[in-house]
Parts: sequence; structure tokens; C-alpha cells
Amino acid sequence: MSTVQRTWKVNGRTVRVRAPAGRRLLDYLREDLGLIGSKESCGEGECGACTVIVDDEPVVSCILPVGQLADGTEILTVEGIEKKRIGRLVQQAFVEVGAVQCGFCIPGMIVSSYALLAKNPKPSTRAIREALAGNLCRCTGYAKIIAAVKLAAARIPAAKRK
Amino acid sequence: MTKRTSKPVRWVGQGMPRVDADGKVRGTTRYVNDVDYKGVLHGVVVRSPVARGILKALVPDPAFDWSPIVLATAKDVPGENVVVMHDRTMPLVAEIGAEIRYRGEPVAVVAAKTPELAAEAARRIRVEVEELPPLLTLQEAIAIFKSAPEKLESMKSQDIVKGDVATGFAAADEIVEAEYWAGHQEQLYLENQGLVVFPQKDGSILAEGSIQCPYFPVHELNDCLKLPPEKIRVRQTPIGGAFGGKEEYPTMLIGYAALPALKSGKPVKIAYERNEDILYTTKRHPVWVRYKTGFKKDGTLTAIECDFILDGGGYLTISDVVMFRGILHCAVAYRCENVTIRGKVARTNSFPCGAFRGFGAPQAIWGIESHIDAIAARLGRAPHEYRRQIHARPGDVTPTGQVLSKENGSTACLELALKRSDFAKKLKLSSRGRLRKGQRKLYGVGLAFFAHGSAFTGDGEAKFKAKGRVELTRLDGGKPVVDIRVSSTEMGQGVHTIFTQIAADALSLDPAHVRFPMADTGLAPNSGPTVASRTTMVVGNVVHRAAQDLKRQIEAFASLRFFKGAPAELRDSQLAAKGAKPVPFAKVAQALLAEIGPASGFFQFQLPPEIRWDQTTFKGDSYPGYSWSANVAEVEIDPLTCEIEVKRVTAVIDVGRVINPVLATGQVEGGLTQALGYAIMEKIGTGKNGLYDAARLQTYIIPTALDVPEYDVKFVEYPYSFAPPGGKGLGELPMDGLAPAIANAVEAATGRRLRQIPITPESIFAALHAPQGGTP
Repeated sequence: MSTVQRTWKVNGRTVRVRAPAGRRLLDYLREDLGLIGSKESCGEGECGACTVIVDDEPVVSCILPVGQLADGTEILTVEGIEKKRIGRLVQQAFVEVGAVQCGFCIPGMIVSSYALLAKNPKPSTRAIREALAGNLCRCTGYAKIIAAVKLAAARIPAAKRK
Repeated sequence: MTKRTSKPVRWVGQGMPRVDADGKVRGTTRYVNDVDYKGVLHGVVVRSPVARGILKALVPDPAFDWSPIVLATAKDVPGENVVVMHDRTMPLVAEIGAEIRYRGEPVAVVAAKTPELAAEAARRIRVEVEELPPLLTLQEAIAIFKSAPEKLESMKSQDIVKGDVATGFAAADEIVEAEYWAGHQEQLYLENQGLVVFPQKDGSILAEGSIQCPYFPVHELNDCLKLPPEKIRVRQTPIGGAFGGKEEYPTMLIGYAALPALKSGKPVKIAYERNEDILYTTKRHPVWVRYKTGFKKDGTLTAIECDFILDGGGYLTISDVVMFRGILHCAVAYRCENVTIRGKVARTNSFPCGAFRGFGAPQAIWGIESHIDAIAARLGRAPHEYRRQIHARPGDVTPTGQVLSKENGSTACLELALKRSDFAKKLKLSSRGRLRKGQRKLYGVGLAFFAHGSAFTGDGEAKFKAKGRVELTRLDGGKPVVDIRVSSTEMGQGVHTIFTQIAADALSLDPAHVRFPMADTGLAPNSGPTVASRTTMVVGNVVHRAAQDLKRQIEAFASLRFFKGAPAELRDSQLAAKGAKPVPFAKVAQALLAEIGPASGFFQFQLPPEIRWDQTTFKGDSYPGYSWSANVAEVEIDPLTCEIEVKRVTAVIDVGRVINPVLATGQVEGGLTQALGYAIMEKIGTGKNGLYDAARLQTYIIPTALDVPEYDVKFVEYPYSFAPPGGKGLGELPMDGLAPAIANAVEAATGRRLRQIPITPESIFAALHAPQGGTP
């Protein structure tokens, strides 16, 4: 398999990538960069536990080959999210509301929630449900996760809202 | 400064945030696959390609380089080739010449430096089996049972008898009889099964991983690994969901990994990918349940006769106890003088079924709650009015002869659920098969009412005597800390948080002083498995009492050391005595640790002596306590596509004292959502060659954020006073009743009773287009 060389920004840090083109982004993040926050559960893009943000869009990193990402790609994982104001608000709200149980889906949930609020700081309940529909959770029944996203949204300073 | 007379701070009853939430939201919590285990070999299980047959040979491909591979077969089992669960029939890996009983039964384990190489090696072993005709489904087993009951191969049978059903049927004005079916259900924890076995120099093993019940393997692998309990040490890593799926199964997984580990002397990790995890781990037991009920014109039940048959799969494992819990829930919630329940575990050639939240009770409650609605319909009574009449309440006698105590909130649950859901009014709006004015979809509302027995069945807790410690010790930096040492595992349900609350209250300490390290059989006494809705009630009481024991020791020390013998009290994190200036807990603890060393409070659980149970006759007090609930489901069904949507669910619940209302509500919402999947989405079977037919998340569908209804969860508290702080079982109850509530709502919406779950658009379509008359 051909090796690709790229320069990305991962969580704000410049990373020189050298990896087989077909290597899954998830494996690259977890094994080469040690960013173990992104999880593998289904391995086929169904559950969202491996969700990361690539150029402002949430994607499932378990079915994304490294070779598909160009130079200059910006990647944000759960580890980078707490450096963002909205990211911190999301994390705090998940803790306060009780949206966390086993925790395995939570990094993906946090990433998807952040991606939603970064674009739409005042989402409707329907918009939250749709934004999280690609993230499976077996513990919570989603009610508190949806409530946490609402709480985080309510705390985003007015200036940030459209 | 607060007055001496003010009440101490209380943590029980507060919605304290989870103690483990921070790492989980930041992605720093390390599950087993997040740990870099240096030098481990990766194990892959080699499996039978057929569901039944005689294992003739394992033929490694001579063209493959086997030098870097560890291959372990039945010949490498150090002791007797048996995993001792509830019988001694199941081998760890199949022997040459022995019968294969299910598709995927392990025949060997290979291990190599990479998972890829191990998987390749596994593929290079030809497994030769002389095929025999398999019995693959419960449907086939029930067909045998109906034609000739004695020909059904039952791995365990048990009856419950109260009064005389013949007399009851003779006294009845009417009889309703019906059958109900439910299929397999996959636990679908988000984190797949995974663990590592480290062989130790002294011949013992250490296993760690995603393990719900660390003491199970300690006592179930002794014979096959030829190791005494003290030479099998097991500890949990953070568990990404379990729901019973990591209860008994990891025992087998430890056994599989131990074979190449002991053979090579190297640690071996086995971590399943999703596909393998769905195909080759346990599921909820499929059930066939037949109710025949006699009743008078006024509704009084005169007889309940019930056959309850589970599909156990190829081996018994723990299915007998699943069946026991099932039959104990078949008729426990209603008044009836004459009851006969016959439970069986059918042997089939499917993967052995195992523990899954509810453990037989959801299957039983699915049947009875559908059936009670059918009786109400025959009587021309509203389902809620009928349940008001016949539901069990304090003073009533259960089918095993147990008198329900006052600590049962059955009536309160039923009444409050009816009120909060506005059930009576909504029932009148139900479509009954025809769109009413203004309705674009068929609308229906349904009710289920049920109990769930807390803790081990019968005198299980009396015999087991759960043990636990609460220790005062030092962190590495010298800071004193109180450690909870019990074997209960944190798997998302929140035990680390609620036990911290319980210990903090019992000690009157700030929770910041309390830690709950991960369960480890090398460090914590056996407080039992984290199962059976027993943890809060039983082990919570052990933690409470052990913490009180430690508190007395700290107070005695403080009295002598700081207060010249005056009685001291630990209260709100400081030690106080009359007329003296209080001393902070940390200071007293430092002194105690320096002068005496670590202190430890201990407790061993005992049941009240009046609890009596006869395991052979199934008579007596079947559970120490009962939790109760009523669920109301509202559904909408598209009349054209038959697509079903559950819009709103009301759940009122008595689990005794609620330790943490935020966590408890989350448990309920999550359990209800699993029940929602069980009711209308999650479909998986073994019709084709014994292999599960939905092996991935593209085909096994669980609820998403778009599928969940609006939940209204409310607790009513009838605490279990014998075991402070008084919690009863919560974990399983939310899984029990929503499926029949939804089926009853579907009946209200369509006018048709569906007697098999999952209820899919296809099955609704078939029912709507079937000739009328199928509904009793």
C-alpha cells in the first residue's frame, strides 16, 4: 500500500503525517498520536463512537482512510475540544446533567454536540436529536444527553449566537 | 460556625455528579483497548463451522508458518476440561470425538504477536466435523413440546404451585388462553468484550478487562485451569457497558485466553470486534409462554396456569436461574388463589443464552401484561380499571406463599402513573383500528404493571453473605483517604458514585475524602456479582455498615487522642466532643495512620431470620424485597406504512430510597430505551445454520436519539428498612414492562393483539390485514 505524507493540524498542533494511504484515521489518531479518546465500537461507521471533526464537519474516523485527507486538514478530537469555550461548556453540561453513564459513547457525543453548537448555538430539540442520531448510546436513552446539549447552548454567551 | 444542633450534611438523596464523569467527558478514561499492554500476544478463538456434529479433527495448514503461533487445544487444558457454571457439562474448548452443540463453539485458541497474524492462523486450521441434524430455534423446540411434551429436551425444569388450578378453572365463568413469543436480544454494550490474562511466575494468573463479575472466574475456572481460587486474580478496567453481557461470558473468555497464556508463559489479550462480539457472545433468552387463566364475571382471577419455556442454547451455563427468575415473575403482581407455573429451559443448538438486564423477568412480564389486557378485553373492562381491582398489594400472598410487606408501593405506582399520563382520557382517544376525527395516525395508549424481585432469588443472599470493607488509608502523597473495598463493578450504572454517597453519609464525611477503587479480587472481599438488582440494596447496606464500623474506630481514637476520653463524634468531616474545639477529620486521620496504621471497617450481610425459602418446592419468600413500577406507552402508527412511533412513556417506580435521583432517572431512561428496542426494533435469530442473522450494527438496529420518546419518570419511595439506607433494586426494573405496554398500546391503536416481539411494521401490516378474530 502506498505511503502518503501530509501536514495536518490536529487539535491546533501541526502534525507531519507519514502513513499508509489506507490506514484508518481512527487508528492513526489512537495508535500514532496516542489520542485514545476516540473509540472504536462498530468499526463500520454506524455508531459514532469514533467521531472527530474534520474541517468543521463531524465524521466517523473508523471508515476514513488517511489518504483521503489533504494537506492543511484541520482535525479536532475530544482531547482538543476542551480548549474551546463551547467544548468546555458541553463537557460541563454533560457532567452536571448526568448525561454520562458507561462513558464509551461520550467522546463521540461530545464531539458531535460541539460540532452542532459551533454552527448552531441555539438548536431546536429536533436539531439536537438529528445531530446526535449518528451517535449510538446504550446506557442513557439519550434524554439527559439532549438535555445537556440544551444546557450548554443556553450558556453560550449571546454574542456567540446568531 | 454551624450550631451543634444543626443536621449534618446528607449526600444520600442528592443528585451528586458522577465521580467518574470527568475522565469520561475528556476522553482520558482508559478502557482495556486504550491501554498499551507491552508484549502481549493477541488471541483468536477457532470455532466450529457447524451447529451440531462430532468434532473429528483440527488440521493446521502445513503450508502456513506456525513457528510464531501459539496453538492451544483441548489437550492444553491443564485440568478437567469443564467450565463450572450451574452444571458441569460445558467444556472450555471442544474435545476431538465430542459433540459440538452450537455454531461457533470453541475448538482451539491461537495467539500471535498481532491480531492480524492470529486471525490468519485461525483461518488456517481446518475444523472437521461430522454433521448431525441440529435443532436451531425455540419454534422447533415448542413444536416438539406441543406434540409430545416429554420429548422436549429440558436442561432444567421447575414448577411453582399454589392452591389447585383445577378447582380454580371449575369455579371460573370464563377462560382465556394465549401464547406469547419473544426473540433474542443483544446487550450491545458499546465497548466490545475484551480482557488480558497475565500468567504469573508462581503459576497463578491475573486477568483484567471489561468484566462485570470478577469473582465468577475465580470460582468457575478452578477445575479446568487446575488453579485454586487464590491463584486466579481478576480485576475490572473501566467497563463500557455490560447489561449482563459481561456477567458470565468473560469467565469463558478468560479461560480461552489462559490456554495460550499458560502454554507460552506470555500475556494474552482477546478483544472482540463488533462482528465477532454479536455472533459469538450470549443474548437474552427467547421465550414461549402460554397462559391459561380462569376468572369470574366480576373479574376475580380463579386460576392462572402458565408454561414458560426459554431457549437455553447448547449448554445450560446459568439459564436455570434465568428461568427461575422468569417463573417467579409470571404471576407475582396479581391476586389469585390457584396458580401453577411450569418453567423449562429447552436445549437447542444455538449459542448459549445468558444474562441480560431483567434475567427472565422481561420475558415473563411480556406475557402476563399482554395477557391481563386480553382478559380485561374479554370482560369489557378498561385495562387500568381491571388492574386496580386485581393488582397485588401489601398483605397479599404471592404464588410462592410470600406475604408482601408494607414496604411495597404497588398501588402508588399504578395510581400515579395513571394520573400523570392521563390514562383514562387517552384510552378513549385510542383509534382501535379506525382513524378518529382529526387523527392522521392510529393512536393508542397501553399500560403495564409489574414487580421486580431485588437481590438473589430466595435465600441466596442468606447463604452468600456478601462481605465488604471500608478502609482508612493513605494516598501516595500521604493524604488520608477512605477506600470502599467491595467487588461491585462500575459499568456505567453509577455504583462508584452512590456508594461514595452512602459511605460519606455513614461516616459524615465529605465525599472528597472517599474513593472507590476498581473491583479487584486481590484487594476486595467477595461482596458478590454486580447483578440481580442486588447492588444498592445488599452491597449498599454492607458499605453503610462497614463505614459505620470505621466511624466508631475513628471516634474511639479521637476521643483518647484529642479529647481526653470524652466521647467524640465524627460529623461533617470533623471530630467533635462536648466543650472542646472540633478537630478536622484529616488531622485525626493522619494521627491515627501514623500511630496505629490503616483502619478498616467490615460488614457481612445477613438477611432477616424470618426470610424462609425452600429451593426444592419453590415455596417461601422468593425475594427479600420487591421494586414496583407502572409504565404507560403512547404510540402512533402510520395506517399506510404501519411505521410505529412511541411518542411518550410514563414510568412511576418504587425502588425504595432513591440514593441519587439524577443517576436513578438516567438508569430508568436507559432501561426503558433498551425495552423500546426489545419491543419494536431489535430482531435477531438463528434460523440459518445456527449463526445469528444480524451480525452488525447495520442489521441489528437499536434506538437512536431520533427514536426515543418523551420520558416522564417519577419515583415513589417505600424504603427497604432492614437494609439502610433502604434502596431496593433499580437496574433491571426499567427493562421489564415497556414491551407489553407498547403491545397493549398497539392493540388500542389497531384493534389487533400482537403476540410476538419485536413488533415491526411488517408484523403490524400482517395483523391489520389478517382476518379478525385472532385476539382473545
